[in-house]
Amino acid sequence: MTDFSFSLLTGETGPLVKGARPDRLRVPLQGHRPVLAEGDQVLAGTLIAEAGDDRGDMHAPLAGTIRAVDRFAMLIETTDDGRAEPQAAPSEGGDILRRWLRSMGIDVRPLRRAPVLIVNAVPPEPGISIHDPLLRDYRKTVDLGLDTARRVIDHSRLFLVAARGNRANAFADCTVVHVPPVYPNGLDPLVVRAVTGGETLPGRHPDNAVILSVRDLYFIGRVMETGRPVTQTVMTIAGQNRLVHVGTPAGFLVAEAGGGVEDGDHVILGGLMRGIPALNIDQGVDKDTTGLHILSKTRAFVPVDGPCLGCGECERRCPARIMPGMISRCAEFKQFARTETFHIHSCIECGICGYWCKARRPLLQYIRLAKYELALLRSAIVPADTPANDQGRSRPADTRPEKNDA
Amino acid sequence: MLRPQRPILTVSMAPHVHCGRTIKGHMGETIIALMPAMVMAAMVFGMDAVRVMALSCAVAVTTEALCNRLAGRDPAVDDLHALLTGLLFACLLPASAPWWLVTVGSASSIGLGKAIFGGLGATPLCPPLVGWAVCRISWPKAMDTNTTMLGTTLPDPLQQLKFFGTDAVASLDPMALFTGHQLGGLGAVHIAALLAGGVFLLIRRHIAWEVPVAFIAGLLCTAWIYQLLDPAAHAAPLLHLLTGSAVFGAFFLATDPASSPIGRIPSLIYGLMAGVMVIIIRVYSIYPDGVPFAILLANLFTPLLDRIRPRPFGGPYTLTQEKEDQATCVKHCG
Repeated sequence: MTDFSFSLLTGETGPLVKGARPDRLRVPLQGHRPVLAEGDQVLAGTLIAEAGDDRGDMHAPLAGTIRAVDRFAMLIETTDDGRAEPQAAPSEGGDILRRWLRSMGIDVRPLRRAPVLIVNAVPPEPGISIHDPLLRDYRKTVDLGLDTARRVIDHSRLFLVAARGNRANAFADCTVVHVPPVYPNGLDPLVVRAVTGGETLPGRHPDNAVILSVRDLYFIGRVMETGRPVTQTVMTIAGQNRLVHVGTPAGFLVAEAGGGVEDGDHVILGGLMRGIPALNIDQGVDKDTTGLHILSKTRAFVPVDGPCLGCGECERRCPARIMPGMISRCAEFKQFARTETFHIHSCIECGICGYWCKARRPLLQYIRLAKYELALLRSAIVPADTPANDQGRSRPADTRPEKNDA
Repeated sequence: MLRPQRPILTVSMAPHVHCGRTIKGHMGETIIALMPAMVMAAMVFGMDAVRVMALSCAVAVTTEALCNRLAGRDPAVDDLHALLTGLLFACLLPASAPWWLVTVGSASSIGLGKAIFGGLGATPLCPPLVGWAVCRISWPKAMDTNTTMLGTTLPDPLQQLKFFGTDAVASLDPMALFTGHQLGGLGAVHIAALLAGGVFLLIRRHIAWEVPVAFIAGLLCTAWIYQLLDPAAHAAPLLHLLTGSAVFGAFFLATDPASSPIGRIPSLIYGLMAGVMVIIIRVYSIYPDGVPFAILLANLFTPLLDRIRPRPFGGPYTLTQEKEDQATCVKHCG
């Protein structure tokens, strides 16, 4: 536990390894609307679910049969090879290209017209080195992705942000900005600040700038090259970078890397600071999954439901200069509106507060809970199918603010 | 879809790694930092000091267990906070303190100082100081080394300064004061030992440098200003630092995590306020040593000082309340 380091130096990374074919895929759906149902046959690249927003549509990574569909995932039993016909990219740029990329599974939320494009090559978390092999070995694809992005963004200035000490070869006429190789400097809000000097509220698009990671450019380039949709992700597994099909079960990846999972272990999709825990080893990886970690029961951090000591360690370490301790105290007692006085919306969710908390409180979890409850509170929507006596639930806790703040 | 999963995974939220520190470790290392002063107390004041410390710790832990039981909480004595509170309270007492004084003071440190406010982390005042204030105000004679420790040759510089003026303390050797040859709180007078403990806490990052540094700076500056105003009536700044519980307060009491402010600027102001207040109380009040009251007063400013905050990342922002109309309905429900 204590051998963890915040260093973002990646050292020498090997080539990108292609993952093997799993016989089952559990493709996660994030608010996607399934367009195919149980029993349907799919080819690799067939549209299976449409995105509700600009996240990008979901396509079948491999050919097979859909075995189950629920709100959160689609189970595909892979059979044989078979690929959907490649599509031709539109020759126009701008919104037409953007919409086409969206239909090819690219998350186009950041793609807007802006004078500045920032390419983030800093590892998002310690132990994740996905950008290195892409910048080194797939240079052509990344460059193609950059050219494509330019057709939408129409930027006049290009910045490449890299961690000092990591290898990063610049693009044509771009400015290279180095940041100290320490977590959380690879997170988007901090990378934007390193370039523009201005701070953007986390979760919002920066003014006059677009930030894309090297990985985003690589996948845009892949789509343009092949005319096939994005159905893969790049993950660092045990120091090795792999190109993995979306929906590959965590257990399959563990077995492939030669590991094992026992009862009580933690399987984490993503990095150790921000990654999401897998509910079971059948859980499939998502398009934005960057890594896979297995922590044994003794090595993993399990928070406890203890009181906040008030030592201020979280506040001193917080890159967003907020008070996670006070926010957690408010959230603990359901005073969600009060968390705004402690600037909860400035939180970039890096998890550093929880790492340093002596009382071992689940600080990041409290912050996320409060953000979620606040969103519910402020949207003031009573779903149509809610029975009358249950309406209070959509507006919890803060109905009597005088009493709470007393 | 419900079927037994093999293997069963543990699911917990990010971050999945931790620095390894615990509350128990924090309290334990603070007790270790107090060790040199405890050893010195035992050497200088003998078994009397050991008696007071042992009784105070035992009463504090018992009270904590009782309070936990009354409040229907899980027993929390194993986090060592009660033990530390008892020890800190004992350090403020004279070695001659009678058993009932130790018992009442230690019990009120935990009961009135901590449990009544909701336990660990919720204390607006430094708990051992609450117990000390109860005793000092209720039984001033029993807390007074002048009346209870007649059998010793050690000087009590602050009493002498208060009642006999600067001439009485002019002959005191600062080196002797530094090594603890003086009367006062049984643990609080061993300046060298406490400094060693304080440096240990600073190195182990259990306390931040702002509060002790600002406290000592405020104390020295104010004492220096008073001495400039009237050298005949006011003692040297160094004497003020080396007497009473100034160093003890700076490193162990003012830095209490729950009752001190969090940010850098608030901490500096807090430390300065406490340091300035020490001299003001020593000069004008009827109490020879102003440190405990000064820190209690500064504690009261903590919620106010905590409002001094840097600008949050991306600026302050409040989520706006959406109107409950057709447009919002369509936006959310489609």
